[in-house]
Amino acid sequence: MMNHIVPEFEADEDYLFRELPKKSTMGGDEDIMELLWQNGQVVMQSQNQRSVGNKKPEIRASMANPEIRSSVVEEETGPSDLFMHEDEMSSWLHYPVDENSLEGYLYSNDLLYPTPPSSAHLTTASTSPPPPPPSVTIPPPRPPVPQFRRVEGESGQPKYTNFLHFSRPNKGRTPQLGPASTSKLPPALKPSTVAESNDTPAAEALESRVSRVSDKAPTVSAANIGGGGNMSGVGAAGTSSAGRELETCELSVTSSPGTGGSGASASVEPSSQPPPPPTDDRKRKGRDTDDTECHSEDVEFEYPDAKKQSHGATSTKRSRAAEVHNLSERRRRDRINEKMKALQELIPRCNKSDKASMLDEAIEYLKSLQMQVQMMSMGCSMVPMMFPGVQQYMSPMGMGMDMGMNHAIVPYPPILPGSSLPNPAAAVAAAAAQLGQRFPVPGFNMSPPVTIMGGPAASQAANLSAPMMSSFPPHNQNQPRAPNFADPFQQYLGLHQTQLPHPQNQGGMPPIATNKPSSSKDPTNQTG
Amino acid sequence: MSNRRPASSTPRITDEQIIELVSKLQQLLPELRNRRSNKASASKVLQETCNYVRSLHKEVDDLSDRLSQLLSTIDNDSPQASIIRSLINQ
Repeated sequence: MMNHIVPEFEADEDYLFRELPKKSTMGGDEDIMELLWQNGQVVMQSQNQRSVGNKKPEIRASMANPEIRSSVVEEETGPSDLFMHEDEMSSWLHYPVDENSLEGYLYSNDLLYPTPPSSAHLTTASTSPPPPPPSVTIPPPRPPVPQFRRVEGESGQPKYTNFLHFSRPNKGRTPQLGPASTSKLPPALKPSTVAESNDTPAAEALESRVSRVSDKAPTVSAANIGGGGNMSGVGAAGTSSAGRELETCELSVTSSPGTGGSGASASVEPSSQPPPPPTDDRKRKGRDTDDTECHSEDVEFEYPDAKKQSHGATSTKRSRAAEVHNLSERRRRDRINEKMKALQELIPRCNKSDKASMLDEAIEYLKSLQMQVQMMSMGCSMVPMMFPGVQQYMSPMGMGMDMGMNHAIVPYPPILPGSSLPNPAAAVAAAAAQLGQRFPVPGFNMSPPVTIMGGPAASQAANLSAPMMSSFPPHNQNQPRAPNFADPFQQYLGLHQTQLPHPQNQGGMPPIATNKPSSSKDPTNQTG
Repeated sequence: MSNRRPASSTPRITDEQIIELVSKLQQLLPELRNRRSNKASASKVLQETCNYVRSLHKEVDDLSDRLSQLLSTIDNDSPQASIIRSLINQ
């Protein structure tokens, strides 16, 4: 996201201003001197002096501009952000989810489930606020080898294709880098099968290389290291963890631009460079061979490579930038895809392969979960005070349901002093029934609530249903995509006396038409 | 991902749709909702969703435990008990 913002930000005047304020502090004035550039001209001005009155507002404006603009850019990337998201989304949306690639991501599932962050510190340092647990999965012995990539950058020929070797997520523990990387890496790093056992020797080898490489590490790379290239244990190519490390470096790298946009392109670029052996195997020229060894996905990189070689150095920059962009795009896509898969796994009985419908289900499930939690917490607080009482809490209950449906869990006051038994209970039961319908759990017994509602509480239930019914049509309209959620509930309410809601399975949610007598399996009578 | 297939097997799902879904999801997420809601990237939204779902699961479990405890304290034949049971069994 920020990558898009950062380039736009480069307005000369302001950029300069941003860049050099530190240098500009001149004068031993007590006042803070600000050296401001405006349109190439330095306009010195003290903070306290308002002498440069007319220019000040401009300067202030221009000074504020960068911040404003950045924020504006960020803000208006509300819509434009969405636009970017559009592009982003279209790319990852339409990009077929590669089972193979994601499998590796999810295999360890460390990405998605918090793992003991033994190596958490490695990546999390720089990454954005939610450092994904994935970044943690790097085994401690794996030395941070960001320099590898930088070496590549230095050579001036970022080996994206090689990087893709490593970007290929591991299937299980056997990295697919095996065949591909053999050519690139010294035998010490012979990957895959011996991966686990090779960890140590590989680590050592890496370490040695790291030390060698570190000398030539450019400043950019330094920033990168700090920036979270730590875990770009991409250097640890040959090992099984390489894939995961790669992911993490992907995550960290791509998130670091997100955090500060700090040299986003720079951070992306080095990250895209795989850690081939520093000294030898500079088979940059042999990019074609790299391509051939690359997985099919790397086909796209063949074009820029061909272009580069055919057009010479002039086009290399452009195509390199394009490659970088493609690479970052792809990594972004992969990240999103893997998250989608993770989400899919969290959602029970989600058999949708379609992203949009999966998101739909996720939304519904999330809502139902929120509702469930809300109901349960209400039930918890209700139990101690369930006694026939006032009915005046119907509307709050209805509103609570309303809000609960519409927004996230509203902190509904759990304490309902004097709440009557049937009403809150009925509300809870009704909600519970509905929740059960959407995501039914075996064994869900619906009769008691129905009984409660169908008994003498009929009047109360009617009262209860009234506000709810009134509150629901809007819901229905507001959530056209969630008919499953609202409709059964409405029908349930409508037929509360005679209906026994039938636990529905997913997929279609046929309207509740079963008219089982409420007393059919009624263990507890209202009279009881 | 062998080749770059612009429109994969999925029917033309509009980007608008996806964006809308993601923003809806974002609205549901307590964290992302409070900030300027248009800031979150799809990846972040998805991540937050996963986290949130997991936390909700955990909360449901906790509440189930509590409810079952409560269940033991009250009369088993009471309507409350059945309600609680229904809640737990969801």
